[in-house]
Formats: sequence, C-alpha cells, structure tokens
Amino acid sequence: MADNPQTTTGGTALGRMLMDEITPVVMVLSTPAAEFSCQKNAGLSLLQLLRPFSLFHDIDVPVRTASEQPYRLHMFRLRLFYPSEVHQPDLQVTEERLKQVVSDAGEAALPELLSDPPQLSEVLAAPESETRPSWFDTFNRELIHALSFSDHEAFDHPVACLLIVSSNDEQPINKFIDLFNTDQLPSLLNEGAMDPKILKHYLLLHDNQDGSPDKATNLLAEMRSTFGSNDCRLLCINSAQGTVGEWNDNPWAPFVSVSQQSQDAEFFLNVDDVSEIMNLMQDLSTKHIIPHMEQKVRILNQQVSATRKGFKNQIKNLWWRKGKEDTPDVPSGPTYTFSSIESQIRVLGDYAFMLRDFELALSNYRLLSTDYKLDKAWKHYAGVQEMMGLSFFMLDQSYKDAENCMESAFNTYLKIGSSGHRNATRCGLWWAEMLKARNQYKEAGGVYFRITSEEPSLPAAVMLEQASYCYLYSVPPMLRKYGFQLVLAGNRYYACDQNMNQTFAIPKLQLPVIDISSVKVTFEDQRTYASSVAGNVGESLWKSLEEDMVPSTVTVRSNWLESQTKSTTLKKIKTSSVCVVGEESLSISGYQKDEELKKLASDRVQSDGVSSFTLANAEFVLRGGESIVVQLQVIPKVEGMLKILGVRWTLSGSIIGYHSFNPNQMKNRNGRRNVKHSSNILNFIVIKGLPKLEGYIRKMPNKTYSGDLRRLILELRNQSEYSVKNIKMKISHPRYLMPGTLEDMNIDLPNHLERKSIPQCTDDVQRVGEKSNNSFLFPNVLPSLDVSVQITPCPSRLQEFLVRMDIANRTTSESFWLHQLSSVGYRWEISSLLPSVSVCPSQVLLAGQAVSCFFKLKESEKWPSCENNFIMSRPFQGTDVRLSYEEKDEPLLDISSSPLADFHDQERLLQGNSQVSIYLFNASGRFTSLLD
Amino acid sequence: MASTACFIIVSRNDIPIYEAEVGSALKKEEAVQQHQFILHAALDIVQDIAWTTSAMFLKAIDRFNDLVVSVYVTAVIIHTRLMLLHDSRNEDGIKSFFQEVHELYIKILLNPLYLPGSRITSSHFDTKVRALARKYL
Repeated sequence: MADNPQTTTGGTALGRMLMDEITPVVMVLSTPAAEFSCQKNAGLSLLQLLRPFSLFHDIDVPVRTASEQPYRLHMFRLRLFYPSEVHQPDLQVTEERLKQVVSDAGEAALPELLSDPPQLSEVLAAPESETRPSWFDTFNRELIHALSFSDHEAFDHPVACLLIVSSNDEQPINKFIDLFNTDQLPSLLNEGAMDPKILKHYLLLHDNQDGSPDKATNLLAEMRSTFGSNDCRLLCINSAQGTVGEWNDNPWAPFVSVSQQSQDAEFFLNVDDVSEIMNLMQDLSTKHIIPHMEQKVRILNQQVSATRKGFKNQIKNLWWRKGKEDTPDVPSGPTYTFSSIESQIRVLGDYAFMLRDFELALSNYRLLSTDYKLDKAWKHYAGVQEMMGLSFFMLDQSYKDAENCMESAFNTYLKIGSSGHRNATRCGLWWAEMLKARNQYKEAGGVYFRITSEEPSLPAAVMLEQASYCYLYSVPPMLRKYGFQLVLAGNRYYACDQNMNQTFAIPKLQLPVIDISSVKVTFEDQRTYASSVAGNVGESLWKSLEEDMVPSTVTVRSNWLESQTKSTTLKKIKTSSVCVVGEESLSISGYQKDEELKKLASDRVQSDGVSSFTLANAEFVLRGGESIVVQLQVIPKVEGMLKILGVRWTLSGSIIGYHSFNPNQMKNRNGRRNVKHSSNILNFIVIKGLPKLEGYIRKMPNKTYSGDLRRLILELRNQSEYSVKNIKMKISHPRYLMPGTLEDMNIDLPNHLERKSIPQCTDDVQRVGEKSNNSFLFPNVLPSLDVSVQITPCPSRLQEFLVRMDIANRTTSESFWLHQLSSVGYRWEISSLLPSVSVCPSQVLLAGQAVSCFFKLKESEKWPSCENNFIMSRPFQGTDVRLSYEEKDEPLLDISSSPLADFHDQERLLQGNSQVSIYLFNASGRFTSLLD
Repeated sequence: MASTACFIIVSRNDIPIYEAEVGSALKKEEAVQQHQFILHAALDIVQDIAWTTSAMFLKAIDRFNDLVVSVYVTAVIIHTRLMLLHDSRNEDGIKSFFQEVHELYIKILLNPLYLPGSRITSSHFDTKVRALARKYL
C-alpha cells in the first residue's frame, strides 16, 4: 500500500494553497428552524458551526482510484457553502473586499510606518517570511476566491449536499425533500453545467433544550427507511446550560467576523456536542465523500478508457471533431453539459486532483486539452492547461512542462478578452508561487508584473508590490528592479486613493507649531569674523581697497570642454549662499509654539546629504503655550550642495514629526552681507576649505595726539588648515598707517626712539604687500602741539635764514617735554642762534602754554655736490638742535634710523618735495612740521 | 525610425555619462523619467547576463510592456554599457548602431583631455549618435 503521492511540493506555499483551495465543496442546505437552534450559540450559523471541523489533519483513509494500488490520505479538507454562495462573486463585492484587505493591512502596519524604515541590509538579512507582508496572502486568496464556481472547471462544483432539518420542523421528511427541490439551488446545478444527482447526506438536528431526543430518534428511524440507512444521521446540540464562553480558546473564533466576536457570546454546547459535530464531519468526509469520489473516479475512468483511450478511439475522436470544425467561432467557446464526455473527463481530472492522484489527473487533463483546443474552447482549454501545470508541480516533475502549461494558460486567458482577465490573474498568482517555490524569484517578479497589465489599479498595485519583493529576494538581490517596481506600485496605489501606504495622519495630537516666518538662517560669513561694528563698513570701501589687487572679472573661455552643467552650476552659485567645508556653522533658529506640555527631544535638521555634515541635536521641554527659539547647527563636511529642508523632531521619545521649511516665507539674515534671493536661502554651495585669517592689533591706544608716532603690531593668524599664499595688504589711510620692517620689532622703543606703526606679516609669503580684510578702529586723534614756523632771510648772511618757531600746547592736560629739533636732508642745516645759550626758555610745555624759539637755518655747503648721489639713498642725515639744556648728556635721537626715516620718506611722498623737516620730540610722541 | 528610443551610456558605478532621446515620437516629460527608471532597473539584468556570454551585444535583455531594452557591453576596463530602450524589433540595426556608437565612444576615450568615466559633453559625439540613430533605428 503506497502512501499518497504527497511530495516535497506539498509543503510549499503553493502546495498548501492548492490543498486548501482545490478541495471538495459541500453544499449545506438547512431549514430556518435548524438555523435558529444553532444561532442560540452566540449567533453562529450552521455553516460557521461546522466549518472549524471541516479540516482533517490526522485521518488515515485508504484511497484507490484508477490503479489497483491504493494509497492513503492523511489530510483532507471540505469547503462548506450555502447554496446562495455557490456562484461567482459579484465584481463589486470583490472590489470592496480587496479594498478592505488593503486598508486593514494599512492600518495594521501603521505603527511600523510611523517609525523609520528599516535599512535595506537588515531587510536582506532577515528571512523572507519575516519581511514579506503577510497580508499579501490574504489578498491573493480573496482574488482567487473571486473566481470560484466557474463553469469551465469542476473542482468548485459541489461534491455533496448536506441537508439539515430541525426536529422541531413539521414533517421533517417532507422538509428534506423540499430543501433540495426549491429554486434556490445554484445555477450550476440548474443550468446543466454539473450533474444534479449529487451525494446527499441527511442530518436531523435536535435541540436538547426542546426536550429529550426520543422524538428525534423516532424521526431518524423514519428517515432511514425513506432515504437509506447510511445517509441519515442525528445531531444533538445545545445540551449544556448557557455559559458565557470565551472566544479566544474556541474553535470558531478564526471563522467569524470581529464584530460578531465583540458581542456577548453565550454557548449551550458542551464537550459531547462538540465531539459529536467533529465525528459527524469526519464521518461525512471519510465514509461518504471520499468513497463517493473514489467510486466516481473509477466509473468515469472506465468510461473514458472505453470511449477515448486506444488508437481506434483516438482516430474516431479526431475524425468526429474535424467534422465539427465548421461551427462558427463563439468567443466563449462551445458549451459543454455535464453529460458531455469533455465535462466528464474534467470532473474525473478534478476529482483525481482533489484525491491527490495527480498522475491520473494529469493524464486526463492532457487528453482534454487537445479536445478543447480542437474545439477552440479557449477558456476551457486554459483552465485545463492551468490544472496541468499545477499537476506537474504537485508531482514535482518536469519544471519546464509545468511552466509551459502555466504560460500557455495565462496567455490563453488573456486572449479571450476581458472575461478571462481575472482567471489570468489567478493563473499568474499560481504561476508566480510555483516559480517562488523553486527559488526563481526573478521570473516570479516578471509574472507578477505581467498580471498587472490587465488589472485595475488596486490589484495591480498589490501585484507590483509583490513583484518588488520578488526582486528583493532573488539571488543576488535585484535592488534596482525592486525600487522600480515599488515606485510603480506606489503610483498605482496613488491612482486608487489607497495612499495610506504612503501617508497617514495622527489624530488629536497637538503638534508643536513652528513659526515659519521666524526661521532664520544665520551662517558665519566666510569673509569676516570680526565684530558687528567692523561689519558695518561700507562695501564701497572694501571695493576701492580691492581694486588694484583683485583681478576685476574672470574671463570665461569657452571651448569644447565647456559643458552645460558648468553654466548651470554657475547660475546656481549666483543665487545661493556659499559656505565652506568643515568650518562654517549654520544655525537655524525658529520659534515653536504649543498649547500642551510636551517634551521635544532629538531635534535635528534634515538634509539631503548622507552623512556629509554634522547635525546638532537640541533637547528641550516646551510648556503649554510657551514659545522658544531653537538654534540648530549644521556643519558641512564635504563639498557640494547643502539644502536645508526642514526639521525633524521626536515628541516624548515616541512621536516623530517633521516640518519642511518653505523658503519663500523666510527671511535671510546671514550675518551682515548681501541678502540673497529668498527662494534659495536654504540652499548652500559648500565649497572646499578656505584659509581663515584673523588679525589683531595688540594694545591699541584709545587716544592719541596728532603727530604721535606709535608702533602697532598687527598679528595675523591662520586658523584653518589651509595655507595662505600671496597675502597683500592695503591700507585705506596710508597717511596714518605705514608698514614697518622686521627690524622694527626688535627695537627697544623707549630707549631707542619713539613708537611707530609696524604691521608685521608672519606668513611665509612672497611679500608684495599685505592685505587684510579686517578694519580697525583707530583712536580719536586729539589736537596736541601747534607748531608754526616763520622763516626770514638773515639780514647779515646770504646763506642763512632766521627761523622762528612758535609752539603752543593745545591739549587740556598734557605737558610736553621738548627734546630736540632736527632738520632732514642735506640741503639745510639747523642750529641754535647762539650755540651756548639754550634755545628754548622752558623745556617743559604745560597745557595751554605757548613758547617761541629761534633758530638759524643755513644752506649746506655740501648740498649741490651730493644731491644726485645721496639724496635718494640716505636723505635724512640732517642736523639736530637740542632743545633741552638741562640734560646735556642725553644723546640725541638719530632721525635717520629706520622707523623715522621710513616715516619721513612717506610724508615726503605724500606732501610733496619738502626739503626741511623740523622734528620736535618729546618723551611720549613725535611732532613734525615740514618746511619747504 | 523607431518611435521611442532612449539611448544611454552608463559608466562605472552606474553613472550615466551620456543620454539621448532619439525616438521620433514627441517627448513627454513623464515618459523620459519612465525611460530612465526602466533603463536603471534593467541594469540588474545586465549585471547577471554580462558575465555569462563573451558577446558584447547582449540583445534584448529586459522589457517593460512593449518597450525593450537592448544592451551592448564594452570590453573596456571601466565596464561601460550602452543601453537602448526601444520599441522596434530591428535587431540588426540595433547591433550596427551599438557598434558604431562604440567606435565613437572609443574615439572619445582616446582624447587625452577626456577623463574616463566622466560625462561626454562633446557636441560632435551627440550629433553623430543622433545621425546613427536615424540611420539604423
């Protein structure tokens, strides 16, 4: 005795699906009284009562079909239907149900959708069963159910009829006969598509609440004599007192709707009743239905063998069909009544399939397919091809044949027009499952995709989504295809308004309000780091300074390398703000308002880059009605475009939200510089690192007197990692500030000379000059000494002049100590009128005091000869007159030493060719007056 | 000439370096994007097939409704793929088209100023490709 030919394919998804879907149908006919007794139990209908017990996992029934060798069936299933359900479901009802499946799935997946989508690598690492949405199966099943009870296939045709009459009914025997004779029988039976003589089983239902079963037992005896002793049975229910049962641990729970479960459930069934029902169903299948089918298979097989098998019959059949070829082509093909040999072969095949004798089924389907093909009965042909493919699959034989059959069935269904589209879909689903069972995911994806072409949006969308998963699971994963199919699916979902897969709303939750108009982007300008005062310097000043140093316009050369993209980026650059890799920090601030107490955590700026920037998280608590300003920072790390799209937040660690910034509503406040086009203020071109120069002047005096010479040290520091080359410096007021030399740094000023400005360049650069974009605010210049000089020719000597110098101290509090008067240049020598007498009456000049001194100015004898040779190289070797007489030992200052000489040179350049300068020195400053 | 034909050259790392709609049909905005999607998705198939054959012309490897993707894989180290999305069935023409475009592409590669894998911006190349499309497709 062989086991039934249940092979490895039975364990696959398709195998399970077929063993669920292609099983004998039992039609349940009942009287209202019987239904009433049953509905006492939490409103269960008879069908619902019986359904949990129509699946048998551990039976052991020997089956012998065509061959002499019996095999055993261990698992079996019956499908129970009321006669009203035995017809093709309405198209619209199906649509609604499909929609319901998808929206249920959308709701169930809502929490998942709210969280971040998993990384692709995680999805790939997880097994298929975990990542593939389970509602696909539900959806596919609904789609397949939409095709039940077609007349071109026999496996949905009822195999048996269960007639149930209550013992309360009047004249139960007549009721049994009436039940089967009413017009309510499905069209399949009435219109001759199937044999109306089907197996009937008579069940008398007794409600124990209505009294003892004695009356029922009598009735049963009567039934047995009328309908035959084997086909009658008594079922007693409601033996127990009413108990409120729990749905959870109850066999009916999976078979009733959720709304029914929510009602109060009172059960009158005790353990005996339940086991009675179980026995009933098991006996029905093992003792009646299976033997009945077995017998029918044997009879039909004999008939078919007699009429169709063998060489003679084949020739005869061919001849007969040739004669029919003249019949006009009807789109639906010829109709076959149950008595036609074709229908009988089909029944034989389907019965054999349901009894898992796939070889017998296959041989009959094969026989039938040639007949249908010759008859041009395309729908029937496709149906048979489909079953052939499934038989091949269940036999685990020839993959190629199985696929060819499915493909031919699929194409044939499509060929017959709109009536076959759903069939094609079902066929495609089975085909795809078949391919998946053999790990041919790529091909399965292709099949799903082919299904979509004929389906309306919603099924098509689901099919595309399934296709995308197929590509994901194929080895190696075809991620591009996966993405493409998902996009297509999304498109279809969108088309049928099932867009909850993409968007969802959170009801009744007060979200923080972001004050968009106050969102500002402040970014550190790449051109200055100075204080705001420095920032207020007008652009024109900078421009005038830059004029000679920066090439005015970049000449654009165009050749073949110049591409379109370049010009577009240039355009973008013009309208976007520019920031620098690594060092710039952008901070975005905005107000958030809320009415309830909420905690916002982990606020971050969302951007279109990957991890090419660092984002700052801000955590804060927002009280009811409070509004706060949040500052967030972005530091870009690589070159490219940076777009700030919006903010994301997590409320109380659970609710994630985001807000996109609409740039049109925002103002730009990028430090101080030019205001960019508002639409692009959140777009930044990130350019590569720039050096960042910082300049300081240490010990900037806060006041100074006119003519005061000071040394200022400008320190430039390059804070970036990029080296600075070719620094140039330009001074806006060259009269007041002049560059010194390196030696000036080393001069010990108080002892050596007066102070002087010494900008110092510390960089390793070619020293063309120095340029800094910093501006310094110089101290107020106060009036100090007023020096006026009057020169008159000396009455006695031709070469000499008398010089009268008036010095007035204009300061309010300072006293000056006059030190020395020097003339610059070779041409003139200055000396006191009388060498032995002090020039000045008082050396100390108090505030407001004025003094007059007299000098003698004499043209140098050396002048004409040395003019050409020395004047340029050493112009400052002049003569000095000591003004102080008290400190005669103190050395005179050497005005030809470098800082003073440079200064004088500068003054000469700016003021013209003055030849005599008179310097007055004091301890703290230097005053000059120039003589011509 | 084919009513729809989208030609694309894909370089290393799947970066397109040249793209041209060479069909005679009027261009629709969404169609262009669809073409890009289809061609991109077809790269998965190219990846599979390219190593199974020594031929450079892979014929029609993928389809989307009535649009077919034909691919020509060059033997260049940087693995350049010429891809054509078309609705015509003229395989010989497509093969000749690919071969001649390949030749043009080699000339581009020979240009010392061209960085392999960068975008082909030569207008001369573009004109030539379009002329070839008119001739063969």
